[in-house]
Amino acid sequence: MPHSPAGDGEHHDLVLQPRNVQFDWNALPMHWIPGEPMATHVINVLHLLLPEGERWFVRTFKEALPLIRDERLREEVLGFVGQEAIHAEAHQGVLDHLLAKGLDPRPYTRQAEYLFQRVLGEHPELTGTAARENLIERVAVIAAIEHFTAFLGDWVLNADGLDRAGVDPVMLDLLRWHGAEEVEHRSVAFDLLRHLDPGYARRIRAMAITGPVLVQLWVRGVRFLMANDPTLRPGAARPSWRAYTAASGRGLLPHLGRAARSAARYLRRDYHPTQEGSTRQAVAYLGSSPAARAAAH
Amino acid sequence: MSPEPTPLPPPPDLYGRGRDDRFMRFLDRATRLYLPVSTRRNRYGRRGPLPLTPARLQVVVAARTVEAEDVVSLELRPAAPGGGPLPGWQPGAHLDVDLPSGLRRQYSLNGDPADRGSYRIAVRRIDGGAGGSLEVHQDLAVGSGLTVSHPRNAFPFAADPAVLLIAGGIGITPLLPMAREAARRGLDWRLVHTGRSRASMPFAAELAALDPDGSRVVFRPDDEHGGPADAAELLGHAPAPGAAVYVCGPAPMLDAVRAAFDESPARALHFERFSAAPVKDGRPFTLRLRRSGVTLAVPADRSALDVLRDHDPATPYSCRQGFCGVCRRSVTAGTVEHRDRRLSDQERAEGQMLVCVSRAPEGECLELDG
Repeated sequence: MPHSPAGDGEHHDLVLQPRNVQFDWNALPMHWIPGEPMATHVINVLHLLLPEGERWFVRTFKEALPLIRDERLREEVLGFVGQEAIHAEAHQGVLDHLLAKGLDPRPYTRQAEYLFQRVLGEHPELTGTAARENLIERVAVIAAIEHFTAFLGDWVLNADGLDRAGVDPVMLDLLRWHGAEEVEHRSVAFDLLRHLDPGYARRIRAMAITGPVLVQLWVRGVRFLMANDPTLRPGAARPSWRAYTAASGRGLLPHLGRAARSAARYLRRDYHPTQEGSTRQAVAYLGSSPAARAAAH
Repeated sequence: MSPEPTPLPPPPDLYGRGRDDRFMRFLDRATRLYLPVSTRRNRYGRRGPLPLTPARLQVVVAARTVEAEDVVSLELRPAAPGGGPLPGWQPGAHLDVDLPSGLRRQYSLNGDPADRGSYRIAVRRIDGGAGGSLEVHQDLAVGSGLTVSHPRNAFPFAADPAVLLIAGGIGITPLLPMAREAARRGLDWRLVHTGRSRASMPFAAELAALDPDGSRVVFRPDDEHGGPADAAELLGHAPAPGAAVYVCGPAPMLDAVRAAFDESPARALHFERFSAAPVKDGRPFTLRLRRSGVTLAVPADRSALDVLRDHDPATPYSCRQGFCGVCRRSVTAGTVEHRDRRLSDQERAEGQMLVCVSRAPEGECLELDG
């Protein structure tokens, strides 16, 4: 697989391995960014979407294995699926905690199941070539999503605002461990897509659909969580774009303009994920992450 | 045209309004319009079969050097004369080396990443080991051909501002290039090299050359200090609080450093992670694939996954330690000896199995669905 040239000494031959992390949520407060219910819930949407979403990544990539003709790429895909499988379970733990705390996530997660199992799942009515092309289309959607997860991973590794705000340390470790692995494996889905379909059209149309749908899923998720948060007075705390911008100004959430510019870079013909984020920084964090260190064998 | 599938109703609205969720319904309908458009053209097939790209390189042993007692280094060059530069690598990278006997061993690259004409590995002879090191010492001579993988890195170096490198014996091999990079980048670095005796510790001259004023590299042979170093002493060599520690050496040293790490002022700990442990207490059994009827023998010292991969290279797996669950298969007949850390009792009762670690009693035949 031709890997794009990376920066000075940037790693591009990492052996991707899942880390068997465990998190204890017993002490997690409802608003784990203290005094910031909206910012907390914006990030909580990750926990709503990721367990189902990442299980779908795993199913889709397992399905794609027989199409891969490059042994190194296959190794990377296998490392990727293991990491994604562990991510899904780690976020599932937070959902279970939310339920125990009186915020029932199930109306939303039922929709996530429908979306990832039904709408984006295997379509048995497709056979032969059409089934294969649909599989590659799903890989293209995953490559587009992985662009955002790498963007978010890079953001959270650098989000000093979260440290200043006194975020719950276990949650911060979950987000940064996950973010670091997203940065670590950020090229895999894109390289797989290029291997299966090197064309530009599929990459672009997948991003054109994925970007807006993700934004909409996020907005719905924040509204849902705020409306169902038992510690907030009904109607008192409504999410707003103004509040988002204020929180991103304090470094608690990613800057919307940067997210939009990042999405635009994905559309460039010479885009490659190695141009975004720093593997070196991800590796450095994984050495210091309490969960990743405890998990290493 | 393919038959229209039975539509599954979208889930209810998020707020208990008692109707289907409109956004979900919209996504489902839009997908139904999009599917025929996006799958009409055979974009994968029109390129013809993709060439198989193997991840292996052919090399020859170009030089063989005794570096210390029982340690030789091999310089590997491309087998084809004039074969272009070798794939690049970074400190911490290793090669999978296929030895002539069929054994596959991983050896860290310890040369200079800037040298794209050759790789260098070093091997300590272990009498009574599984045989790989003896084969390197006894059977590989200048001119021997080998098949190796592309460099892969399971021990990446993050070039942190303050770095402590802890090497036990032959564990110096991945750390030597890290020390070289640390020196090149002007990092605040220290390296402690432990070993039985000075004569057993390779690359002392190369390390000394990286440390002209003798302030960064500490040689600590056990025989001059009355025994092995304890972890607190090793970690005490860190150049500054908050240093990142990279450690490579025998398992007891690694375990001791890990156990002492939280009490030390260091901030990050890195060591090479190996994914598959050797099979323990395995008995031979067989696998039958229900759909194809193929029968595969699983020997005592190999996993069911290894055997399935030989049969089909596209077999899914990932951690090879029984925790990620990617390799799960359905068992339709036979008794499973579960060794994983992932499946629930219910999943086991349903016949699921993680083939990377779980096995069967001696002589059992497990039938796998698919």
